[in-house]
Amino acid sequence: MAMTVSSAGGLLAMLNENHPTLKLHALTNLNAFVDYFWPEISTSVPIIESLYEDEEFDQRQLAALLVSKVFYYLGELNDSLSYALGAGPLFDVSEDSDYVHTLLAKAIDEYASLKTKAAESNKAADIDPRLEAIVERMLDKCILDGRYQQAIGMAIECRRLDKLEEAITKSDNVHATLSYCSNVSHLFVNRREYRHEVLGLLVDVFKKLPSPDYLSICQCLMFLDEPVGVAGILEKLIRSEKEDDALLAFQIAFDLIENEHQAFLLNVRDRLTQPKYLPAEPVQPVSTETESAQDANAATTEDVQMADGTQAVSEAVPASVPVVDPKEATYAERLTKLKGILSGETSIQLTLQFLYSHNKSDLLILKTIKQSVEMRNSVCHSATIYANAIMHAGTTVDTFLRENLDWLSRATNWAKFSATAGLGVIHRGHLQQGRSLMAPYLPQSGSGGGSPYSEGGALYALGLIHANHGEGIKQFLRQSLSSTNVEVIQHGACLGLGLAALGTADEDVFDDIKNVLYTDSAVAGEAAGISMGLLMVGTASEKATEMLAYAHETQHEKIIRGLALGIALTVYGREEGADTLIEQMTRDQDPIIRYGGMYALALAYSGTANNKAIRQLLHFAVSDVSDDVRRTAVLALGFVLYSEPEQTPRIVSLLSESYNPHVRYGAALAVGISCAGTGMSEAISLLEPLTSDVVDFVRQGALIAMAMVMVQISEASDSRVGAFRRQLEKIILDKHEDTMSKMGAILASGILDAGGRNVTIKLLSKTRHDKITAVVGLAVFSQFWYWYPLIYFISLAFSPTALIGLNYELKVPRFEFLSQAKPSLFEYPRPTTVATTTSAVKLPTAVLSTSVKAKARASKKEADQKEKAEKSSATESTSGKGKSSGDKDEDSMQVDSPVEKKAEPEPSFEILINPARVVPAQEKFIKFLEDSRYIPVKSAASGFVLLKDLRPSEPEFLSLIDAPSSTASTGGASATAQQGSAASMAVDEEPQPPQAFEYTS
Amino acid sequence: MDPKLTELSQLFERFKAAMTRGDFDSCSNFLSQLKVMLTGFRSLPPLFEATPNAVHELTIARDIYEHAVVLSVKTEDQDAFERDFFQLKPFYTDAGDRLPPSPQEFPILGLNLLRLLVQNRIAEFHTELELLSASALENPCIRHAVELEQSFMEGAYNRVLSARQSVPHETYVYFLDLLAKTVRDEIAGCSEKAYDTLSVADARQMLLFSTDRELSEYINEEHPEWEMKNGLVTFQKAKESAPCKEIPSLQLITQTLSYARELERIV
Repeated sequence: MAMTVSSAGGLLAMLNENHPTLKLHALTNLNAFVDYFWPEISTSVPIIESLYEDEEFDQRQLAALLVSKVFYYLGELNDSLSYALGAGPLFDVSEDSDYVHTLLAKAIDEYASLKTKAAESNKAADIDPRLEAIVERMLDKCILDGRYQQAIGMAIECRRLDKLEEAITKSDNVHATLSYCSNVSHLFVNRREYRHEVLGLLVDVFKKLPSPDYLSICQCLMFLDEPVGVAGILEKLIRSEKEDDALLAFQIAFDLIENEHQAFLLNVRDRLTQPKYLPAEPVQPVSTETESAQDANAATTEDVQMADGTQAVSEAVPASVPVVDPKEATYAERLTKLKGILSGETSIQLTLQFLYSHNKSDLLILKTIKQSVEMRNSVCHSATIYANAIMHAGTTVDTFLRENLDWLSRATNWAKFSATAGLGVIHRGHLQQGRSLMAPYLPQSGSGGGSPYSEGGALYALGLIHANHGEGIKQFLRQSLSSTNVEVIQHGACLGLGLAALGTADEDVFDDIKNVLYTDSAVAGEAAGISMGLLMVGTASEKATEMLAYAHETQHEKIIRGLALGIALTVYGREEGADTLIEQMTRDQDPIIRYGGMYALALAYSGTANNKAIRQLLHFAVSDVSDDVRRTAVLALGFVLYSEPEQTPRIVSLLSESYNPHVRYGAALAVGISCAGTGMSEAISLLEPLTSDVVDFVRQGALIAMAMVMVQISEASDSRVGAFRRQLEKIILDKHEDTMSKMGAILASGILDAGGRNVTIKLLSKTRHDKITAVVGLAVFSQFWYWYPLIYFISLAFSPTALIGLNYELKVPRFEFLSQAKPSLFEYPRPTTVATTTSAVKLPTAVLSTSVKAKARASKKEADQKEKAEKSSATESTSGKGKSSGDKDEDSMQVDSPVEKKAEPEPSFEILINPARVVPAQEKFIKFLEDSRYIPVKSAASGFVLLKDLRPSEPEFLSLIDAPSSTASTGGASATAQQGSAASMAVDEEPQPPQAFEYTS
Repeated sequence: MDPKLTELSQLFERFKAAMTRGDFDSCSNFLSQLKVMLTGFRSLPPLFEATPNAVHELTIARDIYEHAVVLSVKTEDQDAFERDFFQLKPFYTDAGDRLPPSPQEFPILGLNLLRLLVQNRIAEFHTELELLSASALENPCIRHAVELEQSFMEGAYNRVLSARQSVPHETYVYFLDLLAKTVRDEIAGCSEKAYDTLSVADARQMLLFSTDRELSEYINEEHPEWEMKNGLVTFQKAKESAPCKEIPSLQLITQTLSYARELERIV
């Protein structure tokens, strides 16, 4: 039986002996027993310390180690660490004990904070070499042991890029490590310059790999703002012999597009070299397309040609093969496609088609709203128009307006401006025909007959249609701007120009707008201020100081406000780089400038969750004297925190109970912005009480915010969505409700069903980049407090929730995939119904009748189930045969067979057909079928995915038609390819440009 | 037999011889060598490895430390006593069940108790006492120490002093002499608090001195702040304890006001 000592007293006593051998003996044994006897030893620490300090004692390091361990047990980690450093090699980093783990963590923290401090103050780090040695030992050990993720984390934290590189290159799966690393650098590296360094390193490593992961490289390069590198890679890929490489190039382009960085994309596009062989006819559209910026008058026709050109090239090239080098020919063909993607046209076009074909907006809701709002109440009237625009954003469906022309004509003056501009939201992305759509309202040169309000609105609408892709329309807008001196038209033109040239920092445009600003007209100047900001988004250019100077000069509050927001926009995403300007603005005498300072904080640190920014905002939220500034400061928190939406409800929860209604309003919108589209339960719980606040505008903000949070959340996943819809209906129908909250409710209904129920509000792309357009859109949207027409900016934040698979031709082939979740979780909300019996006399209040609703629901459910059953049985039979062909006969056979499955349990999966609505929450359930004909180039559950065709010889069935204007030629073929009741309804051709309608007022 | 062990025993014999001779210098010399040699045995605490000669080694090591303790008493070295005692202790507490009990155990434990009493470390005294078994408390050596402590606590100082006559072991004398001084210090401390002045005769009696000269020597040595004149011993009262702290009212007021302001701001 082994015996143990019951006390360390004997050993401690031995430390006092004179003979060094005895001391050593005591130390060695104490070191072995310290885990049990540290309380006893702790009383003798001074003796041991004196041993460590005794220069003549030859085992000082052992003494240091012992002291370090005792301090560790006492919880004095700082002392413990300093003695552990004194222990030198005796401190064994590989030991698997709590002591070693804790101290290593401490050492790394210490080292990292020292390094960071040194890097921030630009001084050489004054770091204990022993500390450095320990950290290095630790890093080396991690790398040796194969714990690369750990090593990477530490290396990044400690700013040891050399070690980071080593860890990555030595890891067994370099690709995985690299993607992990870039992910980490986005999530955890707060300082912008350092993040750039890390990403720069990553790109270097990527390039050294034998088989580089171009998708990730390009993402990094995009972040580093290096268009040359991206262009080089893309060119290499499309020059490759293999079709797969070209697919990859297209995929990269789509991924880049998603980040909405217009200036960068244009830069990349212009750097792609022209093919050596220039076939005179097919490529011409490409060249004219680039010229189109200068050629304003031809803009419309060329836009159309552009799309045609894409096809023309692909058809023309095979024909000319005998004449030219086939390689160059393929290159030219691919280049055209690539440029199409990079300019955003391909994706916009596809999105447009998707939104149009899958539009599920519920006109009855609008009808209810329309009938319940008082005719004379212009606020609610225009709110309804806004709601309609938002509901149909990007779908090109303007049925509601068409059906209610008389009602619409009640809009006068600025309401008319918004009504016209609403068309821009509805037709957002309709690049080819945007101009012709708006033509009836645009200012006519010479005649000058139209109302300036509708003309201004039309210019604004053009901006909205071409938001962030305004190459083609810019020139026209500039002309309109310079050819008028009516301030309403100037207002519209400025906004339109800002939107179209978003972030391009075009000097000429800037000067044009500046001229408007200097006319010192309040209405035009406000728009000019915002527009300048839009133009210069994220450039942190010197212009900001110029704008600030003018803001001090002018007397008009509107102009100051516009400029303040504009200045804030210029520092978008600059983080620390914007600090001087922010400081300057937040200390200003003028509350409007301070208010701009809040926006500057919000945008400069947008999505960073930077603690400093949060602290500053919270400070202003409680200490500023102006309500506007306080409101904005709280609201700004939403922007800073949108990358970590879980945080927001917690941070603003106290503020949401403030006595100050402005602060409550800000808190509601902050939650709405940062948790948009998440349906997060905490967010909803926080907003719920605010929707019945005592102050009308707080209710308005809360309703809007709630709608932003709940967009695309189905009632099945959160029952409160249904309750909220009923609440909205109640508010709208209630005669005694305040106008403000009624307006909020109307807008909320619009946002809740935005974009035909196929879009969500997303501020981050899938690769966790900020979506600049979306952020800017929401920032300007939040200005609607002062200026209702700015509500339309919310459409910039909408992104379609779809998975759109594309083949090499960039067409949408028929392709099935699986959603492994109950269909009801993610289905569209059921359309509201009107009871037939009551329709004649009563107003649609009857909709509220629950019995009718229940009945309607029951019948609907039945129908739904039938449909589902059909679908699933159809797919079963097809997969049973081992074919994925969507044969029409087979389907109809299934339809004919009697289906009686009333009480059948809901299936636990759903087959979706490309292109399909995939809401964000659904993404994790998406699976690609294994025996499918197509496999995706990268596994993504939403957005644009390039598909590799495994059986290219078989005929393809296309789902969406690719020629919006030439309906007759392709309509027949695609109709046969279509099936499924939902899709077939929408298969029709692209909408014709709607007939112009005139206001009768 | 293990040569190391033989060497150790031989050295120990020489140490014992020196000790009986009263040659304490060479004793401590030998002792230090012995201790170094002991570190080489793995069967000793704290390792307690089960070597073949473990019992023998433990016994001899215990013997050595017991002698070391006695030696330290003889050289009147309290630090060495404490050191050696602590090193000896594991042999009693942890190895006790494997070794034949040592005749020296209780006297040494009693000595240690006395030492603690002398050094006025009453808390440790009781800690030690608690660790002893009930039967051990019956041992005269231990009981003696316990009784002393009781009288000491009660203030029956005369009983403490008279205990010197009834020592259970000759080594105790040294500590009892020291104890007398501890007792005197206690009395001195008390009287200082209790009286402003005392007549020299009273003071002498109270502090248990037989002559006035001894008293004045004591006062000069230990309490130079006392004054002895006119047949009176004047105890310089310790200076007034630190003046009670003033309440920082101004600071508190501003603080409270600022809290109120902040509160108003936040909610």
